[in-house]
Amino acid sequence: MNWRMLLFGLLIVAQVAVPLRMIQQHETVLREGELFRFKTEPIDPVDPFQGRYVWLRIEDDFVPMSEAVTDAIDYKATGYALLNVDEQGFAKFTDWSSERPTQTTNYLKTKSRGQAVNWEQLADGNRTRVHQGLGIDIPFTRFYMDEAKAPRAERLAREATRNEDCWVEVRIFNGSAVIEDVIAEGQSLRDLASIEE
Amino acid sequence: MQKIPEKYRQWLLQELPILEDKGILSAESRQPLEDYYSNQVESRVHWAAIVCAVLGALLIGGGIILLFAHNWDDLSRTARAVLSFCPLAIGVALSALAIRRGGTGLCESAGIFHSLAVGACIALIGQTYHLPSNTPGFLLIWALLILPLIFLLPSTGAYLFYITLICSWSGAAQDEYGQALGFWLLLIPAVVHVVRLIRREAHEGLLSLWGLMLMLSIALGIVLERTVPGLWIVAYACFLSLSGLLGLRLFPTESGWRNPLQTVGLAGITVLAYIFTRKGVWYDIGWSNTRHYGNYQEWGIWCDSGLTLGLAIVWALTAVKTLRRNSLPKLILCSFPLFASAGFFFAASSGGALINTLLFNAYMLALGLAYLARGCRSTQLRQVNYGMAVLGLLLITRFFDSDFGFLARGLAFILMGSCFLATNLIVTRKKYPLGGAQS
Repeated sequence: MNWRMLLFGLLIVAQVAVPLRMIQQHETVLREGELFRFKTEPIDPVDPFQGRYVWLRIEDDFVPMSEAVTDAIDYKATGYALLNVDEQGFAKFTDWSSERPTQTTNYLKTKSRGQAVNWEQLADGNRTRVHQGLGIDIPFTRFYMDEAKAPRAERLAREATRNEDCWVEVRIFNGSAVIEDVIAEGQSLRDLASIEE
Repeated sequence: MQKIPEKYRQWLLQELPILEDKGILSAESRQPLEDYYSNQVESRVHWAAIVCAVLGALLIGGGIILLFAHNWDDLSRTARAVLSFCPLAIGVALSALAIRRGGTGLCESAGIFHSLAVGACIALIGQTYHLPSNTPGFLLIWALLILPLIFLLPSTGAYLFYITLICSWSGAAQDEYGQALGFWLLLIPAVVHVVRLIRREAHEGLLSLWGLMLMLSIALGIVLERTVPGLWIVAYACFLSLSGLLGLRLFPTESGWRNPLQTVGLAGITVLAYIFTRKGVWYDIGWSNTRHYGNYQEWGIWCDSGLTLGLAIVWALTAVKTLRRNSLPKLILCSFPLFASAGFFFAASSGGALINTLLFNAYMLALGLAYLARGCRSTQLRQVNYGMAVLGLLLITRFFDSDFGFLARGLAFILMGSCFLATNLIVTRKKYPLGGAQS
């Protein structure tokens, strides 16, 4: 009986340590990370375990670079995307490194997703393919919400997106990112969705 | 000697004095008989109580997850984090109680609730910090954190959770990382658990063995890299045949539900033979069509070939030992990988899809007829129905494949249905000549 209880004790330690470590990692990012704003377009799906969330499609989910350099990077290769802020105050990925940057903490650990391509409409009605850079995995695409508010939040955010007035605020620190809030029409999506119609 | 239910022992104890009075049994012989059968009684398991406990744990665990999934906006991050640990704390308390007190019902419900609570705790922290979906990581951590419960409680429910999680992980890992070789390491504890149970008491490990065989039948196809298209044909044929042969060797007196190895092997071979009757399976397979793009790993050639070769060697060794005692199931199980391998190599070298299709149509026809004949000869209704089902499936499918008219198809269906009924009637009359019992 004793050895079973001893092993059971070790198991409990492991079972508690894993979620505690998750909490500690993300609290550190929220406390020490720098705040970045990413333009986004939200959609509202469901996860059976974690509930209803607003799926955030980040507009600039690529690192600008030439087609030749993009093709030289393996699909799903792990790397670090460096960040900067444009004149409007929104975050942009500026560079890609396969080594962890040492000069700054403002970078995102992520994976390459091959070429990011945009199809632009021409005056004659045809569409042309424009290479944008290296597509990357965005690790902050879920914003969990109250199940009653999420569908309304999605609709409100969509309207705000049309006015280019929707973004996600993310804390980034040493490659990790944690969402702080989603802002639509100048206020938190949670508050906006709480307002009775 | 197989264990007997308590009611049979009671009956025997009532009969023994009568046999002694009539002089059939001496007083000296009666006592050892009584002693022997007193120790051969099946341990009584209250299945209804266990099922209720398991269902209760599942429902409460699922309900708690759904309550948290509602996502209470009014709660602070700290309150949510603390609440995330509540189901885990209840699970731990239940498991501690189960370890102290024992009892199948308590151990099973604790195992299931605790397993659910671990997953819920991680998922809810993910919800609190808006973490993105990392399905393989989530499933792997969940599986590893519940693994010790299988042995500590012990709990079949936790074991079934574990094998479901590692099977799901293999699919998610294939999708995310392009390979799921770690599955074989994760499988070891599950196999150890099943072997331990079966060694202790064969019938105790039945449910676990069923779970393992069904999970392996799915996971094998997921874990294979498929760099060499069609190699799965040989791998699956060897795996299912090996399963059936092991069933015949290890549990020679059991069949159906009580022999999962044999049942999964034979049923799997029937399904596979049916799939092989379709032409599409045999196109563009073999080493000349090797794939190196996307998620197909270059080393998959060696990995898949090695795994298939390993399965083939173990199958061959088992087949050689088993074929000494000739019987129809053994013949079917031993011949199938040979046909499948021949078909694979033939299609890979010369693209003979049509010949392979004909070969497996003939194989299924022979399988159906052989079981039908055997069932009629030995008046085994189950075998007759199996043979008829195989023949029926083959003929009906071929009718849908071909351009026969409605009239021809209608008549053929009526004829086949009549054959089913007539054969059943004949076998039932043969088996129960007085007409007292029914099939």
